[in-house]
Amino acid sequence: MAQLSVENVTLSFGGINALNSVDIVVEPGELVSIIGPNGAGKTSLLNCISGFYHPTHGQITFEGNDLTKASPHTISGYGIARAFQNIELFGGVSVLENLMLARHTYLKYSIGAASVFYGAARRGEVENRRVVEDVIDFMELEPYRKALVGNLPYGVRKRVEVARALSLEPKLLLLDEPMAGMTLEEKEDMVRFILDILAERYTTVILIEHDLGIVMDISDRVYVLDFGMVIATGKPEDVAENPAVIEAYVGGAG
Amino acid sequence: MRNPWTRTGNYKTSYAQDTTIFATYSEQASLAVFLIGMLVLPRFLVRGDMQILDLILIYALAVLGLNIITGYAGLINIGHAAFMGVGAYTAALVAPHLPFWAVLPVSGLVAAAAGAVVGIPALRIKHLYLAIATLAFQLIFEWAVGHSPALEQGGAMAMPRGMVFFGYKIAFKNHHYFWYYVSFTVLVLMAFGFRNLLRTRFGRSLVAVRDNDRAADAMGMDPGKTKVFAFALGAFYAGVAGALYAYWSRAVVIEDYSLMISIKFLAMAIVGGLGTLVGSFLGPAFLELLDINMETFSYAIKEIYNPPGVDVGSAIRPLAFGLAIVLFLIFEPRGLANWWRLLRSYFRNWPFKY
Ligand SMILES: Nc1ncnc2c1ncn2[C@@H]1O[C@H](COP(=O)(O)OP(=O)(O)OP(=O)(O)O)[C@@H](O)[C@H]1O
Ligand SMILES: [Mg+2]
Repeated sequence: MAQLSVENVTLSFGGINALNSVDIVVEPGELVSIIGPNGAGKTSLLNCISGFYHPTHGQITFEGNDLTKASPHTISGYGIARAFQNIELFGGVSVLENLMLARHTYLKYSIGAASVFYGAARRGEVENRRVVEDVIDFMELEPYRKALVGNLPYGVRKRVEVARALSLEPKLLLLDEPMAGMTLEEKEDMVRFILDILAERYTTVILIEHDLGIVMDISDRVYVLDFGMVIATGKPEDVAENPAVIEAYVGGAG
Repeated sequence: MRNPWTRTGNYKTSYAQDTTIFATYSEQASLAVFLIGMLVLPRFLVRGDMQILDLILIYALAVLGLNIITGYAGLINIGHAAFMGVGAYTAALVAPHLPFWAVLPVSGLVAAAAGAVVGIPALRIKHLYLAIATLAFQLIFEWAVGHSPALEQGGAMAMPRGMVFFGYKIAFKNHHYFWYYVSFTVLVLMAFGFRNLLRTRFGRSLVAVRDNDRAADAMGMDPGKTKVFAFALGAFYAGVAGALYAYWSRAVVIEDYSLMISIKFLAMAIVGGLGTLVGSFLGPAFLELLDINMETFSYAIKEIYNPPGVDVGSAIRPLAFGLAIVLFLIFEPRGLANWWRLLRSYFRNWPFKY
């Protein structure tokens, strides 16, 4: 059985269908990319998977859990993490604290222990700090550990977004344009991080990305969305030659 | 070379060490000096001074509660005095039956329950709408007390007198000294408690819903529950402060927990620095001392300039209060805590300039 399955999902906003009978399956360990012109419904799809929107019709399941009407915090508990397209970090605190916040559900100590910072509270904090430090190492964020997130440059904040999602130790990672607006060098770094996430952390990844060169290079499979509908799907090389896709890109963007 | 007296010479070798609050010896030493200073301070003060000092400590505890709700969790609260009032009236009702050290937590818990109830709308509504819900609570509280014969309809409810604590009789002369030590101990313990919470999931989640409650949701926190928790925790602090206030003022009167006081608390939190621990102490201290000095000043003004029909003297106090707030909002919106921060970082990074 597929790890994630989106079945016949329609999402309407007052008559306009942002998504229209969308079917998507993702297998464990895959890197699946979702591409499509601006306004195609890519972010709306991620919003449905992560519980920010609830489909008007259809069903979404993840490892046997029904996500269709679940809240974002419930879904994050199932093992799905997300990096937002428009950076949504906790701006008033440090990088470290942003990542520690992703460990929230792993920390189980009582408020009593927390108020004296003793026993289970101290142990829990130290153990989870270790997990977070691994992520900091992994994403090469050491120089920014204690920096206030609001003050960091754009490219670094994008990286913190991904690092925070990784700190949840998810089984499925949703990345919404993690390379948008980055320099070439930053993009190359991000590609390397994504490949490492797949290889070393055994995490399934759904990637939304506009840079088709990168998408075709690294994806296992690609879904193409246009006006809320899946117009093509398959291996990158097949999708690239699909006339409907060329039409959507040339006709839509050109 | 390792030098644990300053941050610049201090290398942390474990994550546990990195979470300590007072990291350097000099920080620990200054804290110890400060605490001892506060303990011996009453020896140098007269009864009248003690009364003001007590009030500052009690207000600091209440403002700390307000900071938890408004400063840390970002939920505007215009009904904080009512939470304090819930604590105070609880104290008036249970004090005849319980020792004071049991009255304090009981009052806190009852206020926390009220806080949780007021926080329930936060599951659905945000920002200004939520602020109006807290205002509604303030008004409902005042109305309910005003219509309760059991609460003297807002008139004075006397607190027990002539208490004996471990053989020590609390009478007129030592009243303010005794409650100083009680208030100080409670404030220190509860401030440390909150400082500890801040480096755990409980404190972090407050800041998370303030900064971005969508992201908090995606990270597995239930933003609604977190906000209810923020209200309950902040109201707990207010409730304990209310019980202390009741003992300190020897009676519970509705005027002490009115909308005017709620606004005063907001002013104290802003002047001190919203979302800062130290601001919770600096704000009340600054505004109360300002008020006292303005009172003295207004008598002096009356001597010199007192036109018939205009009460210049009594206009001075609210005027100074309002002016202080406006000046802070314009010139130092981060409050006194920001001056404190600058001072600290100067000493912390010594001998480097930055
Ligand atoms: N909350 C909403 N209310 C109304 N319409 C919405 C809402 N969210 C998305 N839409 C609409 O749904 C459509 C798809 O938007 P979406 O953000 O999913 O596109 P996208 O593929 O992510 O585009 P981009 O590449 O620009 O990020 C758009 O027409 C958008 O205006
Ligand atoms: Mg998008």
